[in-house]
Amino acid sequence: MNKIMTVDVLSSIKGAKPSETVSKLFDVIKKATNLNNDFHLKNHQKVVSIDYLRDDIVIESSENEKKIIIENFPKEKNGYLVVSKVIEE
Amino acid sequence: MESQIRKIHQQLVDQKITCTTLIQEKLAALKPNSHNTVNSLLEDFALEKAKKVDEKIKNRQEIGLLEGIPFGVKDVYMLQGTFTTASSDFLKNYKAAYTATAIQKLIDAGAIPIVKENCDSFGHGSSSENTIFGAVKNAINPALVAGGSSGGSAVNVAKQFTVFSIGGDTGGSVRQPSGYNKVYGLKPTYGRVSRFGLLAYASSTDCVGPIATSIEDIRIVLNTISGIDVKDQTTYKSDIISDENISTASEIKAIGYFKNFIENNAIDSEIKADFLAAIEKIKSKGIEVKELDFFDSETLVSTYYTLVMAETASNLSRLDGTNYGNRMEGKNLKDTYSITRSENFSEETKRRIVGGNQVLSQGFSDEIYLKAINLKNEISENFERDFQEVAIILSPVTPKCPPKIGDSLKDPLAMYLSDAYTVGFSLGQLPTLTIPQGTSTGLQISAAKTNDEILLKFANFLKEVL
Repeated sequence: MNKIMTVDVLSSIKGAKPSETVSKLFDVIKKATNLNNDFHLKNHQKVVSIDYLRDDIVIESSENEKKIIIENFPKEKNGYLVVSKVIEE
Repeated sequence: MESQIRKIHQQLVDQKITCTTLIQEKLAALKPNSHNTVNSLLEDFALEKAKKVDEKIKNRQEIGLLEGIPFGVKDVYMLQGTFTTASSDFLKNYKAAYTATAIQKLIDAGAIPIVKENCDSFGHGSSSENTIFGAVKNAINPALVAGGSSGGSAVNVAKQFTVFSIGGDTGGSVRQPSGYNKVYGLKPTYGRVSRFGLLAYASSTDCVGPIATSIEDIRIVLNTISGIDVKDQTTYKSDIISDENISTASEIKAIGYFKNFIENNAIDSEIKADFLAAIEKIKSKGIEVKELDFFDSETLVSTYYTLVMAETASNLSRLDGTNYGNRMEGKNLKDTYSITRSENFSEETKRRIVGGNQVLSQGFSDEIYLKAINLKNEISENFERDFQEVAIILSPVTPKCPPKIGDSLKDPLAMYLSDAYTVGFSLGQLPTLTIPQGTSTGLQISAAKTNDEILLKFANFLKEVL
């Protein structure tokens, strides 16, 4: 399972190739001098207090919300919502 | 300019105008779409709301300050039952199933959304040209870009088509178009306003921000939309900012500016001269002004774009045409995904998704992505040190004046570099306000995290001094 995936496959965009412009930005990062490279020690991510975690409950969508979700579905046939054929590799 | 919200409120209370007439006038001004600011008008919704406000006034019931005030919504916010397109082909027929928290709070306060506003597709741009609805034209000179990505919102406010608008700011998308169109635009501290219902671009810096023609209107709207929301667990509890508290800035003894922003070849000579003249006027009022060291523009822009591309590649991976969006059928599921995404994303959006997947992939993540995270942390620490020395950091909003429509798309690197003065404050998650004074594209006032109040104080001070 050491398959190399190209960016077009990773991005699900046909024919996608790395951009020269974006590569220039990445080169700046590669050359930058970090004072401290310990990501975990210097992680400034926010911590949410347990008091503010939302309750683990199922919230029923309103009828209007359900109607719009169905309306947004791209394809319908005989009352069923149709998805693309799933393949197995 | 005086508070438009207070002025209109008084006119409604005194029955000098009806809310229905007010909304009709604003809709009529927006309808010709003279500056390509309109993605869709919320005519029926708005007029129905206006009728209810008029009934209340007629029945001599008290109305709230925001009741009946028409506002615009950048077309990246959910508003139940309305088209929410992100100015993209992908979502051009998508209807929001629910309403964003910030927008709901304004509606609950009685404000009336009248228009979904043009912007760069998914927030990907600094000129509001990356849109299926036509490039937004600058409010002052229509041959120039409006700035972006909240270009439609800034122009609508500048042209007084809306009383205020709600933009979104990931790396400058409220502040830069506000500067280009000479209005006030606030990026609050990250987490002050819930992001629930905002189409995610880069979740670690996305902010909901008001655009208005006065400091007072910014204050009123900010107070209304702030607060904890269980649906966005990065939100924090913030205090109401009173008008009394922002009337004097006497506590501000020292401010700073980044000398490398000013002493370089990239800045327009007029913007540089105007900025330094503003600094002298501030000094003349007895405020100490310190020169501060900061990261160079290339490092700031590269750190910002590395991180936001990684985040947008992840956030937009959900857009595959399965449950919603403009699905284009292929021979199987994977093929459907890739045709749908290839045909419906703009070139700029694809460039960012591909860049993001590049930095997140094996072999690149340590060398680029994690290093950019470290740089972001160093930038935050730099700010923490600076705000022990000064109360405010002042900077120009942009190094240059707005380009002509058509020029930015030809040179994406130049467009990225044009964000040099705004992205650092986003990475630091700091509150930052654009004011329409000081240079031809305004000034940015930044403060330490959660100290949004001091921005408004200093803005009031500068209104008198500059």
